[in-house]
Amino acid sequence: MNNDKYRIVPNGDSAITILFNDDISEHLTKRIIGFSLTIKQSLGEALIDIIPAYKSLTIFFNNRIILLDKLIGEIELLLSSPLTEVSYQSKTIEIPVCYEEGYGPDLTSLAQHCKLSVEDVIAGHTQRSYLVHMLGFLPGFLYLGGLSTNLSCPRKSTPAISIPAGSVAIGDSQTGIYPVSSPGGWHIIGRTPLTLFNPNSQTPFIASPLDKIHFVSISKTEFTAIKKSF
Amino acid sequence: MSLYFIKSGLQTSVQDCGRSGQMHNGISNSGAMDPIAMKLSNWLLSKPLDSAVIEVTLVGPKIQFENDMYIAITGAKFELYLNNQLIFNNKAIQIFTGDVLTFGTLQCGARAYIATSIDIDVAKLFNSYSTHLTVNFGGFYGRSLKKGDILALHLPKQKCLYTNTLPKYVDNGYSGSYILRCTSSVETDLFTQRQQNDFSSKKYTVTANSNRMGIRLKEVAMGFEKPIDITSSGLMQGSIQITPSGLPIISSVDGQTIGGYPRIANVITADLAMLGQLKANDKVNFMLISNEKAIEVLKEQYQILNFLYK
Repeated sequence: MNNDKYRIVPNGDSAITILFNDDISEHLTKRIIGFSLTIKQSLGEALIDIIPAYKSLTIFFNNRIILLDKLIGEIELLLSSPLTEVSYQSKTIEIPVCYEEGYGPDLTSLAQHCKLSVEDVIAGHTQRSYLVHMLGFLPGFLYLGGLSTNLSCPRKSTPAISIPAGSVAIGDSQTGIYPVSSPGGWHIIGRTPLTLFNPNSQTPFIASPLDKIHFVSISKTEFTAIKKSF
Repeated sequence: MSLYFIKSGLQTSVQDCGRSGQMHNGISNSGAMDPIAMKLSNWLLSKPLDSAVIEVTLVGPKIQFENDMYIAITGAKFELYLNNQLIFNNKAIQIFTGDVLTFGTLQCGARAYIATSIDIDVAKLFNSYSTHLTVNFGGFYGRSLKKGDILALHLPKQKCLYTNTLPKYVDNGYSGSYILRCTSSVETDLFTQRQQNDFSSKKYTVTANSNRMGIRLKEVAMGFEKPIDITSSGLMQGSIQITPSGLPIISSVDGQTIGGYPRIANVITADLAMLGQLKANDKVNFMLISNEKAIEVLKEQYQILNFLYK
């Protein structure tokens, strides 16, 4: 199905992806999250998982219960009524970040690339609040929107082999936090002492889609103190 | 009640059917890379099919049993010895306290599964016993087993009273050369007809960089006149992503949940288990089929293996 608002395409034999034509925005994410709740209610046990992203919604379904064509029909029907924004009490989560030497190995080179001072980069990064569009890639990784265009910087051509958990980074026009130690091509500008993925906890993730993230600059001493308190 | 690992093997971990329904939190399914062989090992011991098992990769472990029990080994074929006596896979094997199981040379396939009649004692995380090896959580301390590890087992609830025998028609030879059937994916339309033809006409070689996150293939699938730029979206298991240099990567059980490379096709559900048996230098061809055909193939598989889909 094609129209000016969305396209529904297969994503293999057990998933479909709805691609929305709108630009990435908070408004779109609110409608995507709202629609994902509608689909959850409507599909019941035929639904295995539903993955929101910037401009899409991927519906992973049990193809023993429902066939792809029938599902597309049902989704089109649901999409024929206007999508309403989800009513969600957005939380603002403060994430302490140490931008000092030894915590942000790429801060100086990123500042040079952006033709800014290190202080300007830190100020630019901490002034704004960022919207959580979705979780994904790695457990608890937050896809954040709202980075100042002044701070965007192309990804490294050769990714670093291992980036420590909690690293706060910039890649292209995005900023994010590595929840676990992993390889990665973003520029590391600081590190948070918080743990973003706690598989053994009742609340394994620090934020949900539509929450807001605010980075707060902390010293090495504060970093160590917070780290110890966990 | 335990298993003692005299040798660990290359990558030996606790797995089950995986944790579904957590992709929206960034948590991939994990679980056995060959879920058919995994379920078969439990079925041979008349256990619930999703019971935790041990996944063995390319080089197998050497295990001493601290209790009497039954085991069944399925999947990749290895030379197997119990106290230096040759034994065979795909059947229940009676074990006595002190027995030592040794995995010898790999004959075909890549991953074998060991089911034990006494349940493996690890905690469930997000409703699964499986180990996420790239993020290191779940299963046995979130990691693969090491030499000297002791994997605890529960107290036996009951004796293993009856075991099953593998039906003869269940063929599990692994030739090392495979045709993976696939259907249309999110970005299929963004590839030119020529690129799609190039993709399905080539024979690919599995590289040694392949793992539970993904199967990386050698042989450039196609050239790009201009790069295909996409906005990241939900990435399913079996997605065939084409990197900017034209190399295909097939996403697997521990893969990322959102991806940014364009996908030319997705391996059909019925062929996903085969990904678990691919190893370096195996050959792979892709065959594009319709969604209707994919469902037909899946239904046939359910019929043939109906005892695994109760």
